Amino acid sequence: MKFSWFHLMPYRWLPPDFRQRYHGVWVDLPNRLYDPERGHQLYNEYLDMLEYAAEVGFDAVGVNEHHQNAYGMMPSPNLMAAALARRVPNAMILVLGNSIALYNPPTRVAEEFAMLDVISGGRLIAGFPVGTSMDTNYCYGENPATLRQKYREAHDLILRAWREREPFAWNGKYTKLRYVNLWPQPIQKPHPPIWIPGLGSLETWDFCADHGYNYSYLSFSGYKRAQKMMDGYWARLAARGVEQNPYSAAFFQQVCVSDTDAACEREWWPHVDYFFNKCLHLYPGMTGAPGYMSEASLRAGIVSQVGNTGLNLGRDKSWKELCEQRYIVAGSPETVRQQLEELAKSLRVGHLLFGCHIGSAPIELVNRSTYLCATKVLPALRPLWSEWEDCSWPRALPAERRVQPGSQSAAVRQGVERSAGAAS
Amino acid sequence: MSAGPISRVIELGAGRPTVEVLEAGQGAPLLFLHGAGGIPAWEGALPLLAREYRVHAPLLPGFGKSTGLECLEDQWDLFLHGFDVIEALGLERPYVVGESMGGWMAAEMGALRPKEIGRLALAAPIGLWRDEAPIPDLFGQMTHELVPHLFHDPRCRPAQAMLAMSGLLSDKDDRSEEQVEQLLALARGFRTVAKFLFPIPERGLEKRLGRIAAPTLVVWGAGDRFVVPSYARIFGDRIRGARVMMIEGAGHLIGLERPEPYAAALVRWGRGEG
Repeated sequence: MKFSWFHLMPYRWLPPDFRQRYHGVWVDLPNRLYDPERGHQLYNEYLDMLEYAAEVGFDAVGVNEHHQNAYGMMPSPNLMAAALARRVPNAMILVLGNSIALYNPPTRVAEEFAMLDVISGGRLIAGFPVGTSMDTNYCYGENPATLRQKYREAHDLILRAWREREPFAWNGKYTKLRYVNLWPQPIQKPHPPIWIPGLGSLETWDFCADHGYNYSYLSFSGYKRAQKMMDGYWARLAARGVEQNPYSAAFFQQVCVSDTDAACEREWWPHVDYFFNKCLHLYPGMTGAPGYMSEASLRAGIVSQVGNTGLNLGRDKSWKELCEQRYIVAGSPETVRQQLEELAKSLRVGHLLFGCHIGSAPIELVNRSTYLCATKVLPALRPLWSEWEDCSWPRALPAERRVQPGSQSAAVRQGVERSAGAAS
Repeated sequence: MSAGPISRVIELGAGRPTVEVLEAGQGAPLLFLHGAGGIPAWEGALPLLAREYRVHAPLLPGFGKSTGLECLEDQWDLFLHGFDVIEALGLERPYVVGESMGGWMAAEMGALRPKEIGRLALAAPIGLWRDEAPIPDLFGQMTHELVPHLFHDPRCRPAQAMLAMSGLLSDKDDRSEEQVEQLLALARGFRTVAKFLFPIPERGLEKRLGRIAAPTLVVWGAGDRFVVPSYARIFGDRIRGARVMMIEGAGHLIGLERPEPYAAALVRWGRGEG
């Protein structure tokens, strides 16, 4: 298995009466609640957490894109990835991802991802989400009735821009470019691995199967509630005669580890409570603009509630309920190891994305949890699925061909800093 | 009350939508262009108009049995579609009544081909925007939040009926098959509205209003909290010779809340009695 350490970057100081005073955490929450100086502290603290996770042995560090959102403060994940690419020397950089229909022209994504891949020596995982309705429709004004069509066109354009070695013209419905000619090109050929976050629609499964992409289920409701959906994914692959390689799926699970189960509840409950009861306070009037969902997905949602996160957000649940229902995987290293093993086997996922930072958790708690995961949990899980080849992982330059940040200045420093006239 | 409408489905040809048209009444033709809610029931002003007119009420793709939204890529396709329907119905320079979104469409059609629209009545049309009087978000609110914007008196029967529909949107998992289809029908219609009007229902109509040649009645609910009555004056000022009329005790959905005086005004306007 492989393990990514994934950050949402929530704001830590939503007021105690937040749920009573505001109808949601996203889109129209007044930004007077945001203090930039505290933001300065948070961004740097959060980047420290990501860097630490890579240092103690996680295989990748991950970021994502949200807009006007107090629980996800990365409108530009690529800026975070750029910062990480320089400070994290060996782990992979997972950007999950860029909502490609929002970029005009979408070649901007092709360019920035290529830059990240080149800076990092081929360590980029490129995520292409459609993006939530809050992000794409309500914050960025994209038309919900045409968003998915625009997404597909943007995808085709980016892929072709990465592939072609001569300038070409792109006459799309949403983008018209006389000269597409990408400088720079990604290191990874034909392109970085592509991961598609999805919520269980048949069309997304087929899209992944058709292109060999990783299907990533980013859920806040935990692995037990994901069973039906992941079963559906594997059944779809089987029905289409596609190999059910566990590495063609990734799953996001929030995890907190302390020395004992009891300590975990004591230390983590305030921060877990902050997440489920403040960060996930979503206004139902903006969760799906008209036309955002395909009719098939809408029907499935109305009939069975599969994929209807409205019911499954974990609000007003106790610590015990959240643990038992596996919204969170929490406890001692042994408890967490057992549950994550169950997760990996039952969902058949080769890629596990750890939400090791939850809600308002501070760095001393998070890094302890990260450390316990890396030293006591990951080693036991790592051999799982070793009989399969990882089809979704970057093919980075070998370490000896990767340039280490700072090394080149160091190499020439003595000569550069010589005193004037000394060379003659 | 007159009998309900007859429904028929018209094929407009390859690459064009299929249109369900509701028709009722005898007399001179009246083309009725519905608002963002479609025509879920033959009620309000519609049966009253059918006492005086042959009412033709085509449904936009996504509403009722009308399909083919994918054939209409942008607003211009939509307006041309409106003329295709007029032609398919065999109407010559018809009297066009449009409500809200339908009023926007009627005004745009009147500006696009001024000679092909005989007479116009715009009932609380959308299509303009003033920063000091923003139109509430039609696409980002729940029904129970929208209803107070749509009716002068949110306790009136049609307002309560609309609220009852929103009960279907709850988290409960016990809907009948019919209710599921009802919800999907609502979603289909709303997708059509969003396709042309998301996120702000303004597409440059104001600069085209001066092209309208048809005698035009601008009718507004005096208690409209969705598109506030100050917009009526802009329409009145920009459309040559337009007449502006306020209906007391009505909100945005005039036809549902005050059908009698509203229908009477439309009938008088159609007769040229102003």
